[in-house]
Parts: sequence; structure tokens; C-alpha cells
Amino acid sequence: MAKGDCSILVVEDNPDDQILTMRALRKASSQSPIILQEDGQAALEFLFGTESSKRSPQVDTLGVILLDLKLPKVSGLEVLRRIRSTPQTDWLPVVMMTSSDEPSELREAYRLGANSFVTKQIDYSRFSEQMCLLARYWLTVNQVPMVGSSRSF
Amino acid sequence: MSERWRWQYWPLKTKLLLLTVSISTLGILLVCTSLVVVENRTSEEQLESELHVIADILAEQSAAALLFEDSQQINTIISSLNQINTIEQVCVYNVAGDLMSALNGTGYEPCPSLDAEPEVGFVGDYYRLLEPVMLDGDIVGQFYLMSRLEVLREHIWTFIVISFSVGIGILGLLIWVASRLQRLISEPIVELSNAADRISHEHDYSIRVPVYGKDELGRLGSAFNEMIGTIQDQNQKILQSKDDLERTVAERTSELSLANRELEAFSFSVSHDLRQPLRAIEGFGQALEEDCREQLNDVGLDYLARIRAATVRMGSLIDGMLVLSRVSRQAMEVERVDLSTMLAEIVEELQDTVDTLPSEVTIQPDMQVVGDERMLRIAFQNLLENAWKYTSKNEKRAIDVSACEELNSITIALKDNGVGFDMKYVDKLFVAFNRLHTPAQFSGTGLGLATVDRVVRRHFGRVFAESPIDSGACFYLEFPRPDRG
Repeated sequence: MAKGDCSILVVEDNPDDQILTMRALRKASSQSPIILQEDGQAALEFLFGTESSKRSPQVDTLGVILLDLKLPKVSGLEVLRRIRSTPQTDWLPVVMMTSSDEPSELREAYRLGANSFVTKQIDYSRFSEQMCLLARYWLTVNQVPMVGSSRSF
Repeated sequence: MSERWRWQYWPLKTKLLLLTVSISTLGILLVCTSLVVVENRTSEEQLESELHVIADILAEQSAAALLFEDSQQINTIISSLNQINTIEQVCVYNVAGDLMSALNGTGYEPCPSLDAEPEVGFVGDYYRLLEPVMLDGDIVGQFYLMSRLEVLREHIWTFIVISFSVGIGILGLLIWVASRLQRLISEPIVELSNAADRISHEHDYSIRVPVYGKDELGRLGSAFNEMIGTIQDQNQKILQSKDDLERTVAERTSELSLANRELEAFSFSVSHDLRQPLRAIEGFGQALEEDCREQLNDVGLDYLARIRAATVRMGSLIDGMLVLSRVSRQAMEVERVDLSTMLAEIVEELQDTVDTLPSEVTIQPDMQVVGDERMLRIAFQNLLENAWKYTSKNEKRAIDVSACEELNSITIALKDNGVGFDMKYVDKLFVAFNRLHTPAQFSGTGLGLATVDRVVRRHFGRVFAESPIDSGACFYLEFPRPDRG
């Protein structure tokens, strides 16, 4: 997959954070598609499908998932665990996003296989910088497996 | 010699029995011996007097015959003694000492000569007597008699056998009685000793010994029982207070762990839920500033800047509170920490980021403390950041960190040439949210030194500070050294 074609999945429940994250990401990488899921349940349905619907074809284009730790219904850590539990998705880069910097949560996230852990900064300039760095690294520097090889499981 | 054969290992019973047996044996032996001696003496005296009577009678009868030296007559007289089996020899001498007549028993032996005075009395197996024969006051001859002692000896032997048999019988009886009676003394003592043994092994203080009578043993038993009773009461009280203490500790622990869980939940909540709205205020503030700048006048932009600055300050307050709460509740991981290296790292970070003021930082090499590395880093980061901040208005910054080692403690002194503080308010220095400078002078949350204090306290140390007028501030952190204590 050519660099820059990858999309970003943002899983974020708070409307304010949704707007602020989307704004920062758009400024950082204007051409990458950004997919938003509003809670853990929706994210799982998007990634794995339900009994009535198949999983979204957009999953194949994902370059990174920005996953909020604290989500209603299904928590961020549970979503991470599900992603890592099946070969369909276990290769997906997952960046855990959180307001907190609790060491216990940090350790648990890495134990469950997070690729990165980012504490969202209160200062919006620094938050924007974080988003910019993340988008640039995961979408342009980092390599993910090609479609048709590991993605065809 | 095996230990159990030693006197001090013998049971009391055996000792008492042995004492009784030895004393009784000695007594019986003495009684029997004296009885035998007395009996022997009496028998001898009786024999002696009988023989003297016989001799007297015969001497009297043979006096006339002696005067006329009529041996025939004397032979007739003394031959009557043949009737007495035990008489061995009888000799009759005339006044000149010549043998006139003799009667010899089975063991023939010539009559002794009177020239050498013959032995008389009990000699060997014989009794010998020699007495003058008198007639009208004149000595007319000598009468010699020798008697065997076998009958006497047999009698004495029989007496010895009987008396010692009776003695042994009495001794047996005494041993039997003693073995019964010694229990009166030994049993209470043995019971006392067994009870003491059981109490010391089983720690069962309900054991009591039976008390016999009102003598010393009885008093000993009563005193022992009283003593064990006192111990039992005290033991009961100790166990009771131990139970109470354990219950109190358990209650406190559960209260404490509940409080800790609540504090943790609170911290999590602060971490997530208080930061999020702040981020929204700050984020939308910036978005407003960037996207709608044209619609705002200068006053509006100033208000917006103030809103954003206050939000960031609130953010650092929350961060400070979280650090403070974390150093209070997180588990300690104690190890040896190279403080000099840690301080050098912190200083390097500060020099890279904060300002460009020429700084002269002296750190004593090879300072070592034992503690939690992460917590100590937080504490010294706070202290050095303070030093940096309060020296920022100087022309040149000078910071000196040194250690003073004592027997049981190590004190780290951190000295700067900054603005210092008013010693009047030194008490408020380490209290959370208390600040000695206005935000216009120096920014800060009022949580840094409270966090330092908390870290040092968790290391069982203490922190104190002094600020001589116009010569900066000096902070002392004293850590105990358990390895040397």
C-alpha cells in the first residue's frame, strides 16, 4: 500500500475530544481519511462486523488506530484485547490515548499489546503537536503488512 | 560414666530410699554387733565362773591329798572331771611345783611347767586357769585346768546367725515401710516437677497440683498453684489485649485500605475526568483564537489568553496533586540509589530546557542512599527545579549539593544563591498549597515541597530548610541508614 493512502481510526466518546482530535489530525495530514467510532462497541462492530453485517472493508486500509482508554460500554483496554486476540486484526498498530498517566494503566496497556501510549496534553498546542507527530509517524514512517498477504485471513 | 548414673540424675524416690536403707543398715549392723559382743562377753564370764567353781571344789577336795602327796587320791578326785567333755586337761602340782597328777583329754599335751608362769584366761581355743590349793591358810599346791571353748563358740555363732537373720528381716521390713512412706515426701515434689514440666512444654496454665497438708511441701504446692494462677490471669489478659490489638489493627487496615481504594479511585477520576474538560476549554480557546480571530477585539483576545493560561495552571495543579497522591500511596521499591548520577541527569535536563543563565552546579561525587529511585527522582527534581526557578533572577546561578554522613543517617544539603524565603514562614514551606511568593514573582503550585516532604517521610527521614538573609536557601534531607544502624 502506498504511503499516504492509509486511513486512521479514531475511537473517542467525548464530543469535545472528537472535534479537537479531528481538527488536530486534519491539520496534520489533510489527505488521510479519518474514520471515527464513538464507543468501544461501535469500534468492535466496525472491526469485526456483527451477525447481520460483515466487517467494514475500510479495515483493510487502516494504518493506525487511536484508541481512547476510557470508553463507555466496552473499555479501550477490552477493545485492545479483542484486536490482539485474532489474526484478522492482531497486526494493527494501536495507540492508546488517555487523559491520565497512571502507571498501572500504562503497564496494563503495554501488557495487552499496545504499540504506543500517549497522554493527551491539556495545552492544545502541545496536543496538536502530539497528533501531528502520531499521524506523521504511523502514516508515513511506519510500515504495515500489505493487503492480500496477512490481511486476507 | 553415663550421665543418668550420676547422683544428680537419680530420681528423688531412689535417693530417699537409699538414704533410709543406708541409715537402717548401719543401725541394724550396730545393734547386732553390740548384741553379739555383749552375748559373747556374758557367755565367757559365765563359763569362767563355772570353771572357777569346779576348780575351787576340786582344789578343796584334793588339798589334804596334796599335803600328803597322795597321787592316787588326787587321780580319783580329778577323774570325776572326765564327765565334762569340754575339759581338755587338768594338772595338779604340789607346793614345790612338781606335777602330782594329770588328766588329759583327746588332744594330748603335756602339763605346763610352773617355772615359767603359764598363760591363763581365754587364749586361742582354750580357757586356762591356775589357782592355788589352800589348806588352813597355807598354799599346799597348784591346780591347773584347761577347757575347750567349742561349745561357747558354737553358741556365739548361732547367736550371730540368728541376730543377723532377724536384722536382715527387720531391714527388709524397713525398706518396705520406707518405700511406702517416702511417697509422702517424694510424691508431692514429683507431681510439682511433672506439672512444671507440662506447663513449660504445653503452655497450659490451667494445670494445678494437689496440695497435701500444711507443711513446707503443702505450702510449696499452694504457692506454685497461686503463681500459675497469676501467670494464667496475666496470660489471659495478654491474649485478650493481643486479640483486641489484632482486631483494631484489622479494622484500621480495612479502613485504611478502603480509604486508599477511594483515594485511588479519586486519583483516577481526577486523572481522566477533570483533565478532559480542561483540555476542551484550552483546545476550544485556541481554536477560537485561530479560527475566529477576526471577530474578537484585543480585550476579547486578552480574556481568551487569560482563560487559556488559567486552564494550563489548573492542569499543572492537577498534575501536582496526582504526583503528591501517587508518592503517598505507591508501593516502595527500595534499592541502593546513586544520588550523584541522578542529580547530574536532572541538572542536565534543566540546563537543556529552562533558561540560558550561566549556571555553576557542584554535586558531591558518589553520594549513595537507600530508597525508591522513582520517588527520590521526583523529590530531587522538585528541589532542583525550585533552585533553578528562585535563582532565575540572578546574574549567575550557583547550586551546591553535598552529603554529610553520620553514624545512623545521611543528610543531603542542597544550597542555592537564589532569593531564599522568609524564615518566619518556614513552617508553611512544606504544607500543600502554601506558597511564600506571589504568582507574579514566581509561578508554582504550592505542591512541590509538600511532595518532597512526603517522599522523605516515606523513607523515614525528615526534611528541613533554612534561609540566611540574602544568601539563598538551603534544604536538608535526612535519611536514616538502617544498614549501619
